[in-house]
Amino acid sequence: MDQRFDPNLLCRELLVITGKGGVGKSAVAAALAQSLAARGRRTLVLEIDPRENLHQLLAVAPSGGSMVAAGKRLFVQNLKPKGVVDWVVEDRVPIGMVARRIEQSVVYQRFTEGAPGLREIAIIGHCLRAVRGGIRGAPTLDTVVLDAPATGHGLYLLTAARLFADAIGAGPMAKLAREAADFVAGEQAGIVVVTLAEELPIDESLELRTALAERFGRLPELLVTNGVYPPLPAASRVEEDDALRALWRRRRQVNEQEMARLDAVWEGPRVSLPLVAVDPGPGLTEVLRQHLDAQLEALITARAPAQETP
Amino acid sequence: MSPARSLDLKAASPPLIICVGSGGVGKTTLAAAMGLVSAAAGHDTLVMTFDPSLRLKDALGVGDAEQDREIVVPVKTAGALHASLLDARRTFDRLVEQHAPDAASRRRILENPYYHHLAGQLGGILEYMAVERLYEVSRADRCYTRIILDTPPARQAIDFLEAPRRIVDFLDSGALKIALRRWFDPRGHLVSAPGLAFLGRGVERFLDRIVGLDLLRDMSEFFQAFEPLFAGFRARALEVEALLAAASTRFVLVAGPGEARNPDTLFFARKIQEAGWHLGPIVVNRLHPRFAPESASGPGAEQRGRQLFTWLGERHARGLDALGALLPADQALVAMPLEPDEPTDLASLSAMGAKLQERLDDA
Repeated sequence: MDQRFDPNLLCRELLVITGKGGVGKSAVAAALAQSLAARGRRTLVLEIDPRENLHQLLAVAPSGGSMVAAGKRLFVQNLKPKGVVDWVVEDRVPIGMVARRIEQSVVYQRFTEGAPGLREIAIIGHCLRAVRGGIRGAPTLDTVVLDAPATGHGLYLLTAARLFADAIGAGPMAKLAREAADFVAGEQAGIVVVTLAEELPIDESLELRTALAERFGRLPELLVTNGVYPPLPAASRVEEDDALRALWRRRRQVNEQEMARLDAVWEGPRVSLPLVAVDPGPGLTEVLRQHLDAQLEALITARAPAQETP
Repeated sequence: MSPARSLDLKAASPPLIICVGSGGVGKTTLAAAMGLVSAAAGHDTLVMTFDPSLRLKDALGVGDAEQDREIVVPVKTAGALHASLLDARRTFDRLVEQHAPDAASRRRILENPYYHHLAGQLGGILEYMAVERLYEVSRADRCYTRIILDTPPARQAIDFLEAPRRIVDFLDSGALKIALRRWFDPRGHLVSAPGLAFLGRGVERFLDRIVGLDLLRDMSEFFQAFEPLFAGFRARALEVEALLAAASTRFVLVAGPGEARNPDTLFFARKIQEAGWHLGPIVVNRLHPRFAPESASGPGAEQRGRQLFTWLGERHARGLDALGALLPADQALVAMPLEPDEPTDLASLSAMGAKLQERLDDA
């Protein structure tokens, strides 16, 4: 498998951002979405977590579930878990009144709440419809950046459609599952793993890599090490190792050790975002976007064959 | 300070301590550290954990081979320290083996395609199995004087604690009756569908168009295969629920530092109290220490780094103050500093536990 950075990653229809809880997935998703929008892609950043974070990172009011503009060519949506499956019915039953009655029936509600995999398929299906058209009243989009749940559940989000399609042979749901599975496993989708350069998140990222390879036959396209402490400059004459420097030295050492452990296994492209003195919010998103852009450019340049450089 | 809102690991009570909090805040390490303090005070203690780091597993001596069994941690304490690692799939399999009434039922569950492909991966299964495991351990012959339970690494760790209620609600609701109906005749045709009767004779066609009858058949079969196990599920879930709500059980809420995490922390605290559980101390973990403002000077990169650390210390201190202001006055709130090194052996875990207890005593 070619493990070098594929510049086409930035032109794909779906980018799934996953990683352990608390590593800053949402901030990276917001920064990446801004970067894509600035590159001319009409981008939707889609959040699944019911506690809305993304709107704050992109300086828009909470969307209450609908798709709202968050900048030039940039949209944000918090997908409500309840009702995420409803479009499946509305798609199949074009008469609104009948569709609503089905949605209100007990059997349907229990089914959609209880059936494992259904919600995940509906989420991927929503992304597919967002870029291929099919969401009534929605803008035309080129890319969906999906702020996926933490690693374990994120993996399930990626694999549920395939498992479901394999378990269920025939029928409309199986067809839908196959479409979602093909989309998420196909060339139009990319997986971005976000991690901190600390032991547990790196463990989880490596486990995720193995699980993706085994169950999915693919590897993440990009890894983002987030919140990395700055390198410690050599002590100047006046600077003895005080408590601050001691802590800094050790945190940086942990980061370096963990990144080295990661790089020993992870041959794919990786970008590293620094820990910065900015509170979570639009300001942080902007700083992260600048770092991300610079490093993505570096990856693209490194990737370009020599004869193409003038 | 009401003693109920704090915690003394040296005392005999509480017999059950449950650590909750968002993912990545260091719950597991703190649970192990508390276990060591408890055992050192002479209490036979079990630490039940889900997802420890490799190094913590090494420190406690629980390997993958020991999953699902309690092992003795090799430490010289007045009370014995045990540790166990939960494996949802194995607990599930054992459950089926123990409770399925006969070999035929067992086979019927295990061979159902729906179960086979999906059941082990269900979002809720880990939570249900953790409940089963807590039940097993609390009822086992070996009597621990204290169990410290580290909850699953789900972002909504509270899901796990609500699992018993969900099991009972589900089993008592009409949903199960619906699921257990004989939906299909022997030829695989839909018999009837209550609640969809308004669709008239087109029900089967509609369901086939929306969902697909194959899927409904497998699901229906899945629930029917599980039917013999439901009564046991319900009884055990009720017992675990009583255990969680017992006046002697204490919840320890572990939180991340910084103001941005406070809504999460308050959300957990509120959920715990709404559920009628007893919240002990809130531990804000891994706070960056505060440095004097004059620490933030130096040449170039040195200064930027120093400013970052000073800023982090101020920000975390501000977050802690803001959290304290939002909590009732009798709520114990303690901060644990970010250590240069994560504890990786029993000695450093003990030291961390001792530091925590010291701060709890002062709170």
